[in-house]
Amino acid sequence: MARLYLSNDTSSTAAGAGRLEEACRRRRDVELVRTSARGAFFLEPIVERDTPDGRVAWFSVIADDLPRIIAGQGGTPVQDIPFLNRQTRTTFANFGVTEPLSLEGYRTAGGFGGLRAALAMTAQAVIEEIKVSRLRGRGGAAFPVWNKWSVAQQADAAEKYVVANADEGDAGTYCDRMLMEGDPYRLIEGMLICARAIGARRGYIYCRQEYPAAARTMEQAIRLADEAGLLELGDVRVELEVVRGAGSYVCGEETALLESLEGRRGVVRAKPPYPAMAGLHGKPTVVSNVLTFAVVPTILARGGAWHASLGTDGSRGTAVLQIGGRVKQPGLVEVPFGLSLRQVLEEFGGGMAPGARMKAVQVGGPLGSLFPESNLDVPVCYDAFAKAGAILGHGGIVVYDQDTDMVDLARHFMAFTAEESCGKCTPCRVGSMRGRELLERIQSGGGNGDDLLLLSELGETMKAASLCGLGQRAPFPVMTAMAFFPDEFRRAARGQV
Amino acid sequence: MVVRTETDRLRRLRRNVLELFLSEQAPDAPWPDTLRRLAETLGMTAVRYPHPSLRVAWEDRSNPFFTFDNARCVSCARCVRACDEIQGTHALTMFERGFAARPVAGVGPLDGTVGGFAGSNCVSCGACVKECPTGALMEHTVAEYGPSVTSVRTTCAYCGVGCAFDAGIRNDRIVTMMPADDGPANRGHACMKGRFGWTYVYAPDRLQAPLLRRGDRWEVISWDAALNRMANEFMRIKDRDGADAVAAISSSRGTNEENYLFGKFIRCVMGTNHIDNCARVCHSATVTGMMETLGASAATNSIDDLDRAKLIMVVGANPTESHPVVGAAIKRAHRRGVPLIVVDPRRTELARLADLHLQLRPGTNVALLNAMGHVMAAEGLLDRSFIARRTEGVDDWLQAVSGCTPESIESVAGVPARQISEAARRYAGSGASLCVHGLGVTEHRWGSHGVIALVNLALATGNLGRPGTGINPLRGQNNVQGASDVGCLPNYFAGYQKLDDPALASLHRSVTGRPLPATRGMKTPDMWDAALAGRLKALWIIGYDVAQTDPNLKKVRQALQNLDFLVVQDLFMSETAKLAHLVLPGASFLEKDGTFTNLERRIQRIRKVVEPPNGILPDWRVVCEVATRMGYPMTYTHPSEIMDEIARLTPMFAGVTYARLETAAGLQWPVLSPAHEGTALMHRDVFPHGKARFVPVDYLPPGEAPSKSYPFVLTTGRVLHHYNCGSQTRRTAIIDLVDADVLEMHLSDAARLMMREGEIVRLVSARGAALLPLALSDRVLPGHLFTSFHFPASEVNLLLSSSADESSKCPEYKVSVVRVERLEREELDAEDEEEIRHVRKRLIG
Repeated sequence: MARLYLSNDTSSTAAGAGRLEEACRRRRDVELVRTSARGAFFLEPIVERDTPDGRVAWFSVIADDLPRIIAGQGGTPVQDIPFLNRQTRTTFANFGVTEPLSLEGYRTAGGFGGLRAALAMTAQAVIEEIKVSRLRGRGGAAFPVWNKWSVAQQADAAEKYVVANADEGDAGTYCDRMLMEGDPYRLIEGMLICARAIGARRGYIYCRQEYPAAARTMEQAIRLADEAGLLELGDVRVELEVVRGAGSYVCGEETALLESLEGRRGVVRAKPPYPAMAGLHGKPTVVSNVLTFAVVPTILARGGAWHASLGTDGSRGTAVLQIGGRVKQPGLVEVPFGLSLRQVLEEFGGGMAPGARMKAVQVGGPLGSLFPESNLDVPVCYDAFAKAGAILGHGGIVVYDQDTDMVDLARHFMAFTAEESCGKCTPCRVGSMRGRELLERIQSGGGNGDDLLLLSELGETMKAASLCGLGQRAPFPVMTAMAFFPDEFRRAARGQV
Repeated sequence: MVVRTETDRLRRLRRNVLELFLSEQAPDAPWPDTLRRLAETLGMTAVRYPHPSLRVAWEDRSNPFFTFDNARCVSCARCVRACDEIQGTHALTMFERGFAARPVAGVGPLDGTVGGFAGSNCVSCGACVKECPTGALMEHTVAEYGPSVTSVRTTCAYCGVGCAFDAGIRNDRIVTMMPADDGPANRGHACMKGRFGWTYVYAPDRLQAPLLRRGDRWEVISWDAALNRMANEFMRIKDRDGADAVAAISSSRGTNEENYLFGKFIRCVMGTNHIDNCARVCHSATVTGMMETLGASAATNSIDDLDRAKLIMVVGANPTESHPVVGAAIKRAHRRGVPLIVVDPRRTELARLADLHLQLRPGTNVALLNAMGHVMAAEGLLDRSFIARRTEGVDDWLQAVSGCTPESIESVAGVPARQISEAARRYAGSGASLCVHGLGVTEHRWGSHGVIALVNLALATGNLGRPGTGINPLRGQNNVQGASDVGCLPNYFAGYQKLDDPALASLHRSVTGRPLPATRGMKTPDMWDAALAGRLKALWIIGYDVAQTDPNLKKVRQALQNLDFLVVQDLFMSETAKLAHLVLPGASFLEKDGTFTNLERRIQRIRKVVEPPNGILPDWRVVCEVATRMGYPMTYTHPSEIMDEIARLTPMFAGVTYARLETAAGLQWPVLSPAHEGTALMHRDVFPHGKARFVPVDYLPPGEAPSKSYPFVLTTGRVLHHYNCGSQTRRTAIIDLVDADVLEMHLSDAARLMMREGEIVRLVSARGAALLPLALSDRVLPGHLFTSFHFPASEVNLLLSSSADESSKCPEYKVSVVRVERLEREELDAEDEEEIRHVRKRLIG
């Protein structure tokens, strides 16, 4: 009887893991264990076996390969996979190893150590530990986490809430989904530590409806954790609940998320007050990204100083990057902050896919700035990106090749914003529509130089006057495209496509 | 920190955002005013975006008072917020997303279809229209006649809330009534009636000239002839039959000055106290009950106190329909988390929201309130210090409530004992409990006792004399408080001064030149008896349709027909006017100067906005003319002179002058001297008689109990849309919303009787019968029926008995026993058939 490990992750399934599972189930000589994914999606479906020297992996496996694997022929030791062994896996340490819903597996891998530590500390001390770690929010805004917690903790209110933002809507990002599907107790542990620190008794995981497997896994994990008594923190019981979104991108913005959570239209609220003061139902609420909560248990278990020892001055800890697009090796990369974008793409992305020449790289989702090939030496950290007029966002990296029409790409992103604008503020509601129209006009050859000027001015207006990040960020991909590929826009405006 | 509001960059951003606003407006239509003015300020003349997509062309014309035109909207959502945050109705929402986002009313919950205002729960308060910055929401009157050019501040003449309005004028015509942000009672809010229900002043059937009855037809006569005739008839009858043969009923819709003057006419010219006003049929029990306990009969606190209360208890009142602006304030308080207790047989809008709804059987107020008192006493919830310092007679009250256990009252009132206990604990323990009550307390056979039982609870828990507490009657008419205040009562002079007070008598003589008659006069019901007995020969009624609104109509009409001389002043040919010998047209509140006193004792100015049509004399001028012709000259040139005289004669108005009433805040009586600032909170340190009195009252059953022949209890009251006899509201576009009285019946009764929604039924009492369409609802209890009395055709008041409160003669409108009969179609005449066709189902929540 051979014990085979196969990832249960949605991306792995898309790569063929589902068919492989069926093939394994038909065999009597296979004991199949479904684990989380390694994140090396270019190698999926990966099948692994235990050996005395650790796991050995077979890549891009199809059913016909099974006899060879069962016979132990071939295979690569996992520790020899460069894509993985060059990474610093902390938050994603369990990935590919543990079974997602196994509480025992999570505990064995050190799980709930952070919560145990937190329960032995005062709320103030927990927040102090987070402060020492210098953890910044991983959702995009990079706000100091301790600060949010501290405001919520000090607010005087009968009810407080912890909300995990699992509305991972940026195209090309998937680390939250991986976390929820692959290591759900880590998110639960992080939320419980936060609840303990601020004095909340209720937590919500706002999960986009496009992640059915993640929502299901989280619900099962909450039930199992509850049955194991893990939601009882001393004399306080914390209720956790998964709430599914309704398909709106802007509900990833924290105030729109809260509106949606309250059962209302997902439109943004003006800030202040910030959610930490007046959030869900007007009560103090810590809203953080799934990834942020997932980092917290390790910080409490290993100490804030450990986290602060990784990364760059303003960006401590690890960056979780998700590489996609026209590279050889798309997948999840966890490394300390500070590598340059070029290093990330070369060392982990493995260079361009066969036949593809790099044209531009977009970091931070559909609202992220574009980098031309010549600008890739920027270090991956919050401050350097901000200085470059860019964002790390949620760590999504998309690589475009020479066939990409930059005018069409710009139009696509403005159309995306026009589609997703909640309609509350005019710069975004009307501005995104006008931006789309101008780009369509330029694209169709009907535009002129004035249109490009107007587009720039519109971009400045949207950046300055929009109510939330959607409108404020929407001009960046368009304006960086215009800045780095001006000829394409000029040619299009002159009708010479 | 330095905040810069004008920099080059800011100006550029403003211009660019404005350009986005303008880019979605139709290029061939003029820009909405607000945007045009902004564009001028910012020096912008054109939109640079080539061929931009525009707003969806979509109009909502389903509301009878205003339209919504999406093409002129800017999707700012102020209308949605106004509906949510000011009115609390939540009829509007933003619809669609992004560029297409727009406000709509009445979105289908599942399929997203848009029903428009008419299909929504909109109450047409007009808050959205007021807040709309572009005119996308626009009143029909403004669309038709243009926006106002000037405005005049005045006070609404419907209910007793006393909302301040700016009447907008264009070409000498009123085009809008805009609630004033600095209105002390309404803070910029309004209801359907005040906001849109004023167009009756332009109704084509308004009376234009004096009409004299000639047999069964009317003859138009001159004002001079009419006034002479009145003087001659009154003198003739007085000489022939004595002064007691003449009486007057004043209008609580009229001004303080007119009411005072009418009282002066009866007292100084006729030499009697035979004057009453319609407070008799609404809150006279409040007057009696509060006088006996507190020594003053008016709201103890102010509307503003709703913002200070830590608990609000609504007893026998339906403010979201009858006093909508106060209703909205209560809803706002409740949304802020202030607990709400509602005591009402009906499941009203507030009852549905309430933390606790005590749905008692009609007529059992005293039992329920005493049981609450029992719980307070038994559980040690009394404010012993307040009781000791400020009250007397507590032992008698404790004795009276000692037997009223919630368990024993449960079967009487039909309210579970634990709810009674919970209400008692909450009311006693909140720290500041404010009580408002309405006609559900007073219009009973033991209405005064109901008021007293309520006051006892406030005294027992120290909920008086402090902000956010008190006993606050919701007065029904704009000036029902004032009409009584200035002496249109048979048993009190102005300021509730005793008629036999020697000091007052000498002051009265020195000011008016005539003695103050000391003998009490007739209350309105006494007048009917006197007329039927032939003792009362002449009656002068100003602005009061007794022949539609008083109970036991058959008797009232017979009494009126028995008179030798009946004069009626009204805007329209009312049911009462139809029985008169002489009818005089009246000037509306928009056509004269004066003051109204609202339900929080606030004296506020009304101002002449337009001239009355056709030389119509305001009521005060008519009284002056008649008095003068009867040998007692009244030479006032302006109502302010009348107010000066009231101030001289009445200590509680001593400091009231028109000069001081020029401020938006008006004055809340008592105003004891020119330097006194008025009284927002009564009884702060001392009650008028020193201490307040507990008065023990025992529960006694209503005048009628259901029987085999008459198994239902009928309660009458008002609906949001119409106002009392409906003579005003029926002559406005409100008629498009509600054009009939309907009978609310519980679903289970309807099922048992096999009656259907909309079916016309006959309501039968021992006094008469009325036809009404049926509306099935769970707002009433099984065995209980409710209907309004706004339409003369319904003749609902034919059904009611003359049963009235023992002490105040306040009629028992809230309890009559009736039966409901199915109707065979053959019994209906053409008029009935027509009515049935027009009956529309009223929205019942």
